[in-house]
Amino acid sequence: MSNLFDSHGAPGSGWSQPAPIMDATQVSLPAELVRKKPARWPRLSESEVVRHYTWLSTRNFGIDTGFYPLGSCTMKHNPRVNETIADLPGIADLHPLQPERHQQGLMAIFHEMQNMLAICSGMDEVTLQPVAGAQGEFTAIRCIQEYHRSLGQDGRDKVIVPDSAHGTNPASAALAGLAVIEIPSTTDGRLDLDALRSVVGEDTAAMMITNPNTLGIFEAEISQAAEIVHSAGGQMYYDGANFNAILGKTTPGLMGFDAVHYNLHKTFSQPHGGGGPGSGPIGVKSHLAEFLPSPLVKRRPILSTDTGAIDEQWWYTWYEPSKSIGKVQQWHGNAGAVVRSWAFFRRYGHTLEQMTEHAVLNANYLRHRIHQCAEEQGVEGEFKDGSPTGIVKHEFTLSMLPLKESKGASAMDVAKGLLDHGFMAPTVYFPLIVPECMMVEPTETETKETLDDFAEAFVKVLQVDAETLHAAPTSTPVGRVDEVYAARNLCLRHPIDD
Amino acid sequence: MVDQLPNYGRESEMLSALGMNSIDELFTDIPAAVRYDGRLPLPEPQSEEEVLRDARRLLGANVALSQRVSFLGAGLYRNHVPALVLQLIRRGEFLTAYTPYQPEVSQGMLQAMWEFQTLICELTGLSVANVSVYDGSTAAAEAINAAHRIHNRKAEQKDIIYVSELTPPSRMSVIRNYSQGGGIEIRTLPHNSDGTLDLAAAEQAAGACGVYVEQPNPLGLLDGGLVQLKEIIGENTALIVGVQPTSLGIVECPGEYGADIVVGEGQPFGSPITCGGPIYGIFACRDAYLRQMPGRIVGRSIDVHGEVAYCLTLSTREQHIRRHRATSNICTNETLIALMGAMHMSLLGPEGLHTLAMRNMAACQLAKAKLGTIETLALPHLSGHHYNEFVIELPGPAAECLDYLDSQGIIGGFDLSSWYPQRKNWLLVSVTDQNSKAEINLLAAHLAAWSSAIIKGAGV
Repeated sequence: MSNLFDSHGAPGSGWSQPAPIMDATQVSLPAELVRKKPARWPRLSESEVVRHYTWLSTRNFGIDTGFYPLGSCTMKHNPRVNETIADLPGIADLHPLQPERHQQGLMAIFHEMQNMLAICSGMDEVTLQPVAGAQGEFTAIRCIQEYHRSLGQDGRDKVIVPDSAHGTNPASAALAGLAVIEIPSTTDGRLDLDALRSVVGEDTAAMMITNPNTLGIFEAEISQAAEIVHSAGGQMYYDGANFNAILGKTTPGLMGFDAVHYNLHKTFSQPHGGGGPGSGPIGVKSHLAEFLPSPLVKRRPILSTDTGAIDEQWWYTWYEPSKSIGKVQQWHGNAGAVVRSWAFFRRYGHTLEQMTEHAVLNANYLRHRIHQCAEEQGVEGEFKDGSPTGIVKHEFTLSMLPLKESKGASAMDVAKGLLDHGFMAPTVYFPLIVPECMMVEPTETETKETLDDFAEAFVKVLQVDAETLHAAPTSTPVGRVDEVYAARNLCLRHPIDD
Repeated sequence: MVDQLPNYGRESEMLSALGMNSIDELFTDIPAAVRYDGRLPLPEPQSEEEVLRDARRLLGANVALSQRVSFLGAGLYRNHVPALVLQLIRRGEFLTAYTPYQPEVSQGMLQAMWEFQTLICELTGLSVANVSVYDGSTAAAEAINAAHRIHNRKAEQKDIIYVSELTPPSRMSVIRNYSQGGGIEIRTLPHNSDGTLDLAAAEQAAGACGVYVEQPNPLGLLDGGLVQLKEIIGENTALIVGVQPTSLGIVECPGEYGADIVVGEGQPFGSPITCGGPIYGIFACRDAYLRQMPGRIVGRSIDVHGEVAYCLTLSTREQHIRRHRATSNICTNETLIALMGAMHMSLLGPEGLHTLAMRNMAACQLAKAKLGTIETLALPHLSGHHYNEFVIELPGPAAECLDYLDSQGIIGGFDLSSWYPQRKNWLLVSVTDQNSKAEINLLAAHLAAWSSAIIKGAGV
């Protein structure tokens, strides 16, 4: 057990730095602004810091450690050259307020990414400004809000979301000041067009939906939904969290969407970093383009007066549209994530479709193998599909309700049991419309053998008695953590003696 | 690309298990009317080495700050990121994990973030901190929304938040986007000609939902008057202070002068500038604000054996539970960059923090003294105390001066007319622990040369 605050360094020990370039006694600060009580940070040597964080890392599970089928989060392999590229001084050591002639290389990458995302989604214009998926949602909803206002339709203040939607959808709409109408899905987890028809109207600002939906099912009636919303004067917003299921096979543009966000940390492999960073660019059709936040990159043919160009053809400039909503992050967005995702996309180029195909192949194969293994062991009755469907896209859901009813073990118990087999657990209890839900997304970067192993482990867990499952996990760095205790006995920082 | 697809070439084997003959059968659920049938008009796939070569060519064409003598800051500051930070952060267990929904196999990141919360609480003098928001601007915006939720019911000035008039427009724009949905009206607080906040005018903010100011302010000025601000605005108006966090090694922490929420750009601790992202926003507050806080919070708990264990807590504030009633829409945050900050802070310790702050302050004050001796320049806030940056008034447009300095290999600072259009001749010079005395002398020499040339040219 290593504790950062359990340090024994003597006062004055610690990290060496050059001396201040002016005699410290000459540095002046008014008395009322002088800090009286120093921060009680630990005093540690470099070796202790290295060992502490290395030890912590051994108590953490990542994609590099093992299979991470966390539904909706797209935990795929992160190519390592992307990290090498992000360390280059031309991005790591670049300041967003430098003149354009210092940033032409980065701007060329931004331009290429804007184009690529527009092509893959069937949108007209893309901004790389939002730094996370939820922020992309918020940004697009803000653009839609200002679009309606520009038409004098300030009364469009309702956003429609299916009850299977990601929680960020309603939260982002609410942050923009819009009211949320949640419509029920059909009993098999699909979009209910009648429910949609019954809520659209003069107050509809937009519908937010992902396709495939959070059950991994492609909404075949999406064009009809778009028509219903459009004919009421609303806008269609595509939550791109599941974009990796359709890239190259269809586009949000073809489905009738007006705006879309992309999660670069999902589809385009920016590492998730234990909770972030991400990047959530948005694309829009041309009628929304003038509301986009800066920075956008435009290019023009090079002039003889341009110095610092990256080639003899193009000069890149930052651009802010005339009716821009302004900024949602102070700088250029998560430029470092954009560069990593650019490197990822370049590996595939026009074959990005293969990524989609393998993500979907792996999901369907794993789903099949789980059912097959369960039948072989006679436990196929302990769970059922979240929705009856022939094929799924990049992920699928299972309901553990039968298991709960038969022997009192919950989806969470199964999740904890899987940890003991060396796998990260799937997403549990989401989407909310599937009781005792487990949501499984294998991604394209897992071998068939890993999928086979997971299916077998899953079925083994189902065969364990409930009491044992309640006690799982037992092979992990700590036993099952008491989350209720944490909330009732709040301890949010190390207690340092006064 | 083949090397990213382990099952490449084994498709038929897997498909036959599904009773299928082709990949296309997996996509028959997409109606023909919306099918994309063409080949994506994108470039040829590349190998790792080809991508790296292109990246080096493109990014190598940029001018990195480290290639020049630089005095550009304005919210992001050059620093030294210790080698161990850059190496340990690439441990795959940290890099390739996600939000620790399964605490039993995520103790490493959970404990690291709980320690980060402690480090930030100690730094700011407040009792709780979260595991990061996107950046300093979204931290400020989220703080304003939290203050509104806490105080609006009892506020005498309903839906009103006061913000320093010096707040950079790009940060103000983020604040406006985040606050407009809540019906918040942003009013500005004026500053005196010496750059300090007009405390008499600040009295008008008493009874509003909150006040947002920065220390040091956007012109680099440390404002002693801010220690009186909480008393002026009163208990029912939130005091939100934006900080450059390294300054708190010597500058009084806002928690000690009544701040209710402290926010800031965490970047100077542990993160390269990275063109402004990914970086991380700091968010700390008093206990009373805890349940209105945005983002993830880690709590210390126990496991089934009674041993210490960590987990995410107070999730009922968050979007995945509370949906449209959540305190914020934030989900993915900047955890990995916050971890870089925690590693840097762990290495520094209290004395290292003090030294780092002193180095920044000393470099800034030395540069200010040096440039103050140039007769052709003026220092509008001469009497003040500065951290990291200060304003010089040039005899001509700052934009032209920056072009000249650039031609001499110097990134001279920030043209303040992009923030304050009437200040055509104001240059914001930023000096950090990374600037040497020789660099400051070089800047001084070139500024003197340019200024006198301008004055002669103008016939003065």
